[in-house]
Amino acid sequence: MRISTKLIAITLGSGVIVSGLILSLVLELKSVSTGYTHILQGPVLQAAAARQAQVDFNVQVLDWKDILLRGQDPGDLAKHRLQFQAQQAKVKAEVEALAVGVDDATSRTLLTDFLITNDTLNAKYQAAYGVYVKQGLNSKAADAMVRADELAPNDIFDYVVTQLNAQAVASAANEKAKAIRQLVILLMIVGGLLVVDSVVYCMVLFGVIKRLGQLKAVSDRLAVADIEGLSIDISGHDEIGAIGDSLKGVEAALHELLAVHAH
Amino acid sequence: MGIQLKERYEAVGREMGPLGRMKLAMLTKMSSTAAADAEDSSSNLSLIDDAIAQLRKAM
Repeated sequence: MRISTKLIAITLGSGVIVSGLILSLVLELKSVSTGYTHILQGPVLQAAAARQAQVDFNVQVLDWKDILLRGQDPGDLAKHRLQFQAQQAKVKAEVEALAVGVDDATSRTLLTDFLITNDTLNAKYQAAYGVYVKQGLNSKAADAMVRADELAPNDIFDYVVTQLNAQAVASAANEKAKAIRQLVILLMIVGGLLVVDSVVYCMVLFGVIKRLGQLKAVSDRLAVADIEGLSIDISGHDEIGAIGDSLKGVEAALHELLAVHAH
Repeated sequence: MGIQLKERYEAVGREMGPLGRMKLAMLTKMSSTAAADAEDSSSNLSLIDDAIAQLRKAM
């Protein structure tokens, strides 16, 4: 193989390796980005949605207190009751949607527990409202019926958020370990290929340097017509081999010149 | 021994002079001394004949 072909092949090989490395790093980056996007769109977003549902649940509790504190006027009573009912529906819809979308089984169970607890609480609110109206808008008994009942559902939300945050942290750690593992494998493959490429390059380079040295030694002797006992042993199907072959012609011509001169 | 090879060298010497012999040696990579020591094989004869034809063409 010609030296120029070898050098082009080695250069192209290096280019392919480096291009492969760049492409692999881009794909790796994309994979890491996708992994973290899944975490953000999964447990992180779901934890935020759980927090929002908790806030809305507490707004629902405040709406109940508005019924008791500001419901003395029939118009205000109707307004606050509507607000309370709307908030009840909103909380239920939010938690139901979250329970369907959440991947974590523990969080799903907790959210289902919340829905059951919330249904029970809503029934108690309904009963307390009946007592409130029946007792001529006296809030004392109605308030006592549901006092502090919002604490348990609130705790459930706290558990859900803690659980989802823990899942997000675990998923992030998993993504990080996966990215490091893939990067190490990639660097090992590319490093190995670069070592092979470098070894081939060195072999070609040292071969060329050695044969150029032989060529120079022959050329130096031919330059001073020192052809006695000269043996040109520079073979090969490359440029140096071709020059060595040509020098054999020069050597033969010098021999002939000396023979002609001797006659 | 290369009797036929040597005869061809001498013929080239008569036809083209010392310069022709040198050119023949350069093309065949074989001097007349080496030709005299070489075998009159078909490959050697073919090599020298082709070189002579090349020299005649270039004249």
